[in-house]
Amino acid sequence: MTTPLAVLLVVHVLSGVVAIGMHNVALMHLLKKAPDYLFVSRLAWSALVLLVLSWATSAYYYVSYYGVAVKPRILAGDTPAAHIFFMETKEHIFLILPFLALSIALCTVYLRSHQDDDSLRKSTAFLTLVALAVGAATAASGILVSGAI
Amino acid sequence: MTLIELLVIMHVVGTVLGVGAATFAEIYYTRFNSDDIVTDDERKTLATAYTVMRTGLFLLAISGFAFLLYFRLTEHVGILTSPSFWAKMTIVGVLVGNALMLQARIMPLAVGAAVSLTSWYAALVLGVIGKTSATYAEILIYYAVAIVLVGVSLRLIRAYLHAPKKI
Repeated sequence: MTTPLAVLLVVHVLSGVVAIGMHNVALMHLLKKAPDYLFVSRLAWSALVLLVLSWATSAYYYVSYYGVAVKPRILAGDTPAAHIFFMETKEHIFLILPFLALSIALCTVYLRSHQDDDSLRKSTAFLTLVALAVGAATAASGILVSGAI
Repeated sequence: MTLIELLVIMHVVGTVLGVGAATFAEIYYTRFNSDDIVTDDERKTLATAYTVMRTGLFLLAISGFAFLLYFRLTEHVGILTSPSFWAKMTIVGVLVGNALMLQARIMPLAVGAAVSLTSWYAALVLGVIGKTSATYAEILIYYAVAIVLVGVSLRLIRAYLHAPKKI
């Protein structure tokens, strides 16, 4: 693997993990009765930026390196399911994460000016929980894929 | 200092902060709640302990994923499929889920405290042991038994502290 590709992989993983962490902190605040919506909103937008960064870097890595150098090794190894199931699932489910993150960020902007809307707070918390679960599942799939090489 | 040494230090500091803060959060809560009243000052002390605990979890998660990247880039990927590694990941997931359920008030505090304290020590023990012959299921059974034992012990300690004092 060349150095630029290694850097892309590092950026993909670390930005994704930090984004998942930010959604976790945002959810912890959204579960409070009176969250600091300015803080939650900043977290949500930062998570969106990091997820888009993680998305873009992984896309380049996948197209230019994974398909030709990694995928054949996994398919020829002991656990081809790591690609056939986990990578195939990960690469499709991961597509919805930035859109989930965008929806959460937009909800938090609305909540900043409508702080009494408890129903929206709960719905946003649920959406953030979904994003957190999808993010965690994506990260776990990534580890499984790496372990199958 | 090499990158791997820096990551080890970060990982150890995260574990020390997390295990230490979880221990003291439990000690403080048991002491503060012995009169059934948690004052504002006591609440602030507990909040500080929880902040330190979350800082530890953050350092642990970042350094943990940096380790994974290091192993991936150096092609030492055997660890990524080991049972103790996945048990540790599961326990970290339980820690995060437990914190969320406590915050949402859908987890009883007594159960949440036992889960939190046991999870931090279980992660520490798995980190120290490293490779083990136990399967993933066996490790999780030991972990579940440890949670029950810690929960019962904490309950007994709290009952003792709440008992009327003999004069």
